[in-house]
Amino acid sequence: MDKYVCTICGHVYDPEKGEPRLDLAPGKDFTDLPDDWQCPVCFAEKNKFVKV
Amino acid sequence: MVSRELVQGVYWVGALDFDRRLFDELIPLPEGTSYNSYLIRGSEKTALIDTVDPKKEEELIVNLIKLGIEQIDYIIINHAEQDHAGSLPMVLEMYPRAKVVTNEKCRDLLVALLQIDPGSVMVVKDGDTLSLGDRTLKFLLTPWTHWPETQLTFLVEDRILFPCDLFGFHQATSELYITDEAGAYRSAKRYYAEIMMPFRNSIKGYIQRVRDLNPAMIAPSHGPINKNPKFMLDAYEDWVSDNVKNVVVLPYVSMHGSTQKLVDHLVGALIERGVMVQPFNLTQTDIGELAFSLVDAATVVIGTPTVLFGPHPQVVSATYLANALKPKVRFASVIGSFGWGGKAAETLVKMLDHVKVEVLEPVVIKGLPDEAAILAINRLADEIAKKHKEIGIL
Repeated sequence: MDKYVCTICGHVYDPEKGEPRLDLAPGKDFTDLPDDWQCPVCFAEKNKFVKV
Repeated sequence: MVSRELVQGVYWVGALDFDRRLFDELIPLPEGTSYNSYLIRGSEKTALIDTVDPKKEEELIVNLIKLGIEQIDYIIINHAEQDHAGSLPMVLEMYPRAKVVTNEKCRDLLVALLQIDPGSVMVVKDGDTLSLGDRTLKFLLTPWTHWPETQLTFLVEDRILFPCDLFGFHQATSELYITDEAGAYRSAKRYYAEIMMPFRNSIKGYIQRVRDLNPAMIAPSHGPINKNPKFMLDAYEDWVSDNVKNVVVLPYVSMHGSTQKLVDHLVGALIERGVMVQPFNLTQTDIGELAFSLVDAATVVIGTPTVLFGPHPQVVSATYLANALKPKVRFASVIGSFGWGGKAAETLVKMLDHVKVEVLEPVVIKGLPDEAAILAINRLADEIAKKHKEIGIL
């Protein structure tokens, strides 16, 4: 599973860590997140993320 | 204070703030600023585009009263930040029948920042149009040209673009239009550096869209109006491109003179090698000028003495800001000095996590620079010149 970085604020989505701020448990691949998922830091859209 | 007509039925009704010297309690404003609000009269409806900073809200209201505006049907909000949307509560109080027109994200921010009633907002989507009778407004949603909700409004028949912060600059002037393009270029580049640079990649995708509109005028929310849009669009295209220039930006602090000696030697060594260099002694630097220089520099070298065990706090502050502004700089290094120890260079390099730079070997020396230190600085200058040659800018 790959890490993805937000091109707006630099936040990194690490599937091995999940997103504690969003109560998102570890183990979910970025591509399996819903289309309306947003960056937990700056609320940019999912399509603003790129693979690290 | 005064309103001015751009074309028949389209007015500037904003406020000039000649005295303002600081924005966001951070960035100096050497030329003051303006908050531009525009009124458009159509045959059926009247629209106001953006408002002014709330400290100037009375000026906006007086301008509208003097023009004899008894009804406003639509208040277009291109950006929710308080210097443009902040007088919205007052305008709505004066014109309670007006509908606020903006995108969904902006509506949510207006509710959060200004406690605007969401029921008073008409939500528009990208490409939507709004008829004023014989005039039409078209909305282009351009998220992350500064904030997530930023949008542009285009007055179709008169080909006037109202892009809010994009393409504007901080300047209070009695001129309605840009008359000095060289001065405007410099002020706009500084504004781009301070406000737009972190969103360089988003802006890249919007420039052609704006060119396709073929605007006759760009009427931004700060500074004078631009009757030669090509000049500003070309400048933006250059700034947001990946092209860098043969320039080293050198922000530094020196406490007892050692770092100053390294800086002075590096400046000379770079000039000898044909590399342009802009040193900034941070104790007396306008950080807007530092940001300006970072727009297209290829390399940044940070100079710091060691305070306790790390870099000088003023250097940390400038490095934090430079990193947050995400300039397109390609190479970075650190030079500096220490008395007994510390990790100044490592701390600064770790801070550069938003910029994609190749780090060139830092030169951090103990005490006063000796011959070995000078040779190390020469090697750094050689390395910078070599890198600039490799990417074809020297």
